[in-house]
Amino acid sequence: MAVQPYSQSIESLRAAQRGRSGLSRSVLQRYLVAYLFILPVLLLYVVFVLRPTLQTFWLAFYDWNGISVDREWVGLANFQRLLADPIFWQALQHSLIWTVVVVAFNLAVGLAAAALLAGNIRGRLLFQLGYFLPVVQASIVTAMIWRWIYAPTGVLNTGLETLGLGFLTRGWLGDFTVVLPALAIASSWMTFGLSVVILLAGMQGIDPTLYDAARVDGAGAGRMFFDITIPSLRNTITIVILLALVDAFKVFDIIWATTEGGPIRTTEVLSTYLFKEGFQQNQYGYGSAIAVALSLIILVASILNLTLRERGDD
Amino acid sequence: MTDAIPRSVRSFPSGERRPRAWWLVYIPLTILFIFAVAPLLLTWFTAFKTDQQQLVSPYGLPLPPTLDNLGEAWTVGRFSIYFKNSLIISIADVIGMVVISSLAGYAFARLRFPGQKLLLYGLLVGLTIPVAAIIIPLYLTMRDFHLLNTYSSVIIADIALAAPIFVFIMRAFFKDLPVELDDAARVDGANELQIFWQIMLPLARPGLMTVALLEFLWSWNDLLLPLVFLVSDDLRTLPVGMLFFQGRFTIDYGLMSAGVLILSLPVTLLFLIFQRDFVKGLASGALKG
Repeated sequence: MAVQPYSQSIESLRAAQRGRSGLSRSVLQRYLVAYLFILPVLLLYVVFVLRPTLQTFWLAFYDWNGISVDREWVGLANFQRLLADPIFWQALQHSLIWTVVVVAFNLAVGLAAAALLAGNIRGRLLFQLGYFLPVVQASIVTAMIWRWIYAPTGVLNTGLETLGLGFLTRGWLGDFTVVLPALAIASSWMTFGLSVVILLAGMQGIDPTLYDAARVDGAGAGRMFFDITIPSLRNTITIVILLALVDAFKVFDIIWATTEGGPIRTTEVLSTYLFKEGFQQNQYGYGSAIAVALSLIILVASILNLTLRERGDD
Repeated sequence: MTDAIPRSVRSFPSGERRPRAWWLVYIPLTILFIFAVAPLLLTWFTAFKTDQQQLVSPYGLPLPPTLDNLGEAWTVGRFSIYFKNSLIISIADVIGMVVISSLAGYAFARLRFPGQKLLLYGLLVGLTIPVAAIIIPLYLTMRDFHLLNTYSSVIIADIALAAPIFVFIMRAFFKDLPVELDDAARVDGANELQIFWQIMLPLARPGLMTVALLEFLWSWNDLLLPLVFLVSDDLRTLPVGMLFFQGRFTIDYGLMSAGVLILSLPVTLLFLIFQRDFVKGLASGALKG
């Protein structure tokens, strides 16, 4: 029996199909099926994601309370107001401080934990499970737990008293000098497990011969960590930083459930500010202008993230 | 954690010998482990403590455990209603998402049609849009459709906002399946629907599992959308219920801890059962957007 290679027979079949007409019925039918398959996603996406996104930009040019029929076109007035608004600049500053705290925590803890775990140690799965447990928790759960830790009679103050550091105790969420980093630490609790996993995956991708060569040259563990591990993880570290940056600008739940942006706006960020302007003050136009600023910042961070990711894949 | 102490000397993948000072490795890892796990565990313990026990042993085991806090949160605190609402919304989300993301993921991975690239990049933009940035017009859209204060508003918005990432996940799964499969089926005269339903979908089950688990997690934990769309207390989900609950019972840590337990136990159990899928899925999800 003559055996024709399988793929070749398929090719000849396809050629025969194509030969019958330029765009045969079966091809058109196949296009139709494909469009039907993506139709539900496309419909939802256009109506509930794309249109609202464009609408945000459009609403930012109006003065509107959200209810009345007539809205007033005010041109760039909302953006002018935004640039002159000290709360906007404060909110941006808060997001940056938040980013710095989360990045510092996630990188320091993440790199250390990943480096220690990379040695295939016993119990690695258990440690990883533990570190990842907060990642799957709701941010409102994180908020509740850390409210309890930071309470005037909470775990943190009790612990400080026990250690003889009573002078450090305070109502952590009421003290406007520490409340922002305190909440950022709570947020880090919820995200560092992800950093550990990402950094660990990065470390496992490093060529082991690099370490062998360094060892021959007499390098110690510390030397190897700073001269080989860190430089090899450059892309991974950048991704962890950008993730924290995007998270810092997206954060809403933890702040809303603990301080609602207070005390005296010391934890106000763009998302809480636009929520208040939009849904509490009914300033839909101005709220949208804040949202536009938020979108642009996240868009830039995401494009950087994706570009680096692509480069990392090569 | 004694079982975590190494008994034998193994070598690092790099060939490096295990450091003799094993405690230098295990002490920091264990401290971090306690930092990660203890806050949640202590809160769960508090849920089973009476007010008296909370004062006497705030960090000890709840012995004997009481179910009073859980009972009160469930009935007086209306967590039974919030739980039911969360469950309805999350399950509807999961079913909807599994269906539409597998259909679209399959089309983008294995079918050819005009405009394919353009539509895919269009969806890619969606990965970057933060919910907070479009929440105002999204609210107005729901109002125009008369969907405010219904389960549907949250379900539809949840699915629409998370669809891009799941389409990409499913596309990756379908792309990895061998080409010979559909060629063979086409030769046998199967139509596109049959190929998708009878051949591809069963093979993509691990991908569907990831989609289902992550979508459940995200919708179960979400605060902003149900907070904005659902006004009546009878429709509120657990996170929103919790938010208003803490306003009313702010001093009562026993009750609040019971609320935390009810909200966090289901996802924690799912995580412990399907850890691999969660870790992989969340890591790739984070890296993509």
